[in-house]
Amino acid sequence: MAKETLAAPAMETSLMTRIKDNLPVVLVSVFSLFLVVIVGIKGGPAQILNTIIAGGMWALLAVGLALVFGVMNIPHFAHGESFMVGAYVAYFVFTPLVESMGETPNAMLRALVPFVGILAAGLVGAILGIIIERLIFAPLRKRTRSGWVMNAFLLTVGISFVMTNGATLTIGPNFRGIPKYWDIEPIEFLGARLSADRLGAFFVAMVTIGVLWFFLRRTRTGRAVRAVSQDETGAQLVGINLNFIQTLTFSLSTATAAIAGAALLFMFQAYPTVGLKPLYFAWYVVMLVGLGNIAGAIVGGFIVALLQTATQLFFTITWETVIPTVVMIIVLLLAPSGLFGSEVKGIQEQ
Amino acid sequence: MLELKNLDAGYDFLQVLWGISLQVEKGEFVALVGPNGAGKSTTLRSISGLLKPKGGKILFNGKDISTLPAHTISRMGISYVSEDLNLFTDMSVRENLILGAYAVKDKELQLETLAYIFELFPRLAERHNQLAGTMSGGERKMLAIARGMMSKPQLMLVDEPSLGLQPNLVHDVFTALLKLRQQGVTILLVEQNVNTTLEITDRAYILEQGRIVMEGPSREVKENDHVRNAYLGI
Repeated sequence: MAKETLAAPAMETSLMTRIKDNLPVVLVSVFSLFLVVIVGIKGGPAQILNTIIAGGMWALLAVGLALVFGVMNIPHFAHGESFMVGAYVAYFVFTPLVESMGETPNAMLRALVPFVGILAAGLVGAILGIIIERLIFAPLRKRTRSGWVMNAFLLTVGISFVMTNGATLTIGPNFRGIPKYWDIEPIEFLGARLSADRLGAFFVAMVTIGVLWFFLRRTRTGRAVRAVSQDETGAQLVGINLNFIQTLTFSLSTATAAIAGAALLFMFQAYPTVGLKPLYFAWYVVMLVGLGNIAGAIVGGFIVALLQTATQLFFTITWETVIPTVVMIIVLLLAPSGLFGSEVKGIQEQ
Repeated sequence: MLELKNLDAGYDFLQVLWGISLQVEKGEFVALVGPNGAGKSTTLRSISGLLKPKGGKILFNGKDISTLPAHTISRMGISYVSEDLNLFTDMSVRENLILGAYAVKDKELQLETLAYIFELFPRLAERHNQLAGTMSGGERKMLAIARGMMSKPQLMLVDEPSLGLQPNLVHDVFTALLKLRQQGVTILLVEQNVNTTLEITDRAYILEQGRIVMEGPSREVKENDHVRNAYLGI
């Protein structure tokens, strides 16, 4: 009798303690699973697939933001403008190229044209990031670190202001859009009809995230980026050039956001303030999963998309922004460091 | 190899070091001891490039490194094992060590050095996949020292490695330092544990209130009355 009572509690504590230790992850997984089920039941596979596709996009946007906050400790509120730049570049590359191909273009080449625009957007985004970082944040870092968070934040607000108004002044406030990237019929998949453009955007998002992941996890420089986000001083002491890593990181964030903007040209179009919604979505994800948590940002993108879809299916459109915001408030009240914990260590005052 | 000439250093308006001069020759094991707040860490931070001097010069192999950034000084062959350790807490032991050899371009050489370090520090080898932030204090100090060695430095600056460690771990740490010494690494050791430090080092400098008040072979410094009184409790 004594033996029986001893054996049972031992097994329970092991499972219970494991659940307790990883409580946030467990709760989130259970809740997400619940959302997947109800979305699947009410909306069918089409909605699930659309959610996955949207999730990929938010993940891509959020990762860049998480990188900038985690590595450079900058609350970046001009991230949406990188998205805008990408959209414009894609438009101004794609449209003339397609026109030059005439009425009956070579099918192979025509299929590749959108990717040319997207790649161009990534390139321009990267260069833009280098210029902004060198001109604006590097000098600030050199001058002073006191009040860094507020100063950096205000600078990004200024950058956003200059860029949106600059676009309005030079290119004009009109919407530049395209009806479709690929002029083919929607593809049947698991009982859902998915537009080729959406699939293409998802593909781009996954490839970009995959490349970024590989870079951060497996390359020497990627490892250095992670090192800087964890301990700036330690990074210097092993010979890592902080300025170089900061510029690289910012450039990565602008490039990835630009790629997102380009890939979604068919959906959002290009106009000066197109970056506003993506900015808020990216910040939503980052705040929810924990500031600076890069891996979490990827998962978070999908969770937020899931939440969005569930809200759209079960509530009217008026609740679309309210419900997710309420969810975030509750989460942050219970877990201030975000769902998966914050990786931000704070910066050195010099 | 290393020479400090009349170094003035401090933080903002607070001057901590007043005209410090000291030398470390190649192959030497030199101690910098003194009470809390004397400026020992400030000295090492200045040499490593984390802190810019307010006056004076720091020369490494004859070259003035006073104004160079920390990462450049690290690549020149000076490894600083700080008091805070500055480990990458969310990375494994192995990744921390690989990063220690960040400046080493040859990947094979990196792996060779890693294998060698694992031989020297078997406890680290056992835990090579463990996250640095989850290790005990003593193990983290070992990791910090091991990481400092990965770049095969000419000079190692070690800041209070025995601080907060239980006695048997202190012994391990000092043994590790002596092993380094045998490999031909020049070491400048900052410590509050004056007794053991004076036993294992060649020469010593006593730093009090930002000034060098005594220097000489460790043997002699140990016999000095002031030192015996103030630091050895005799």
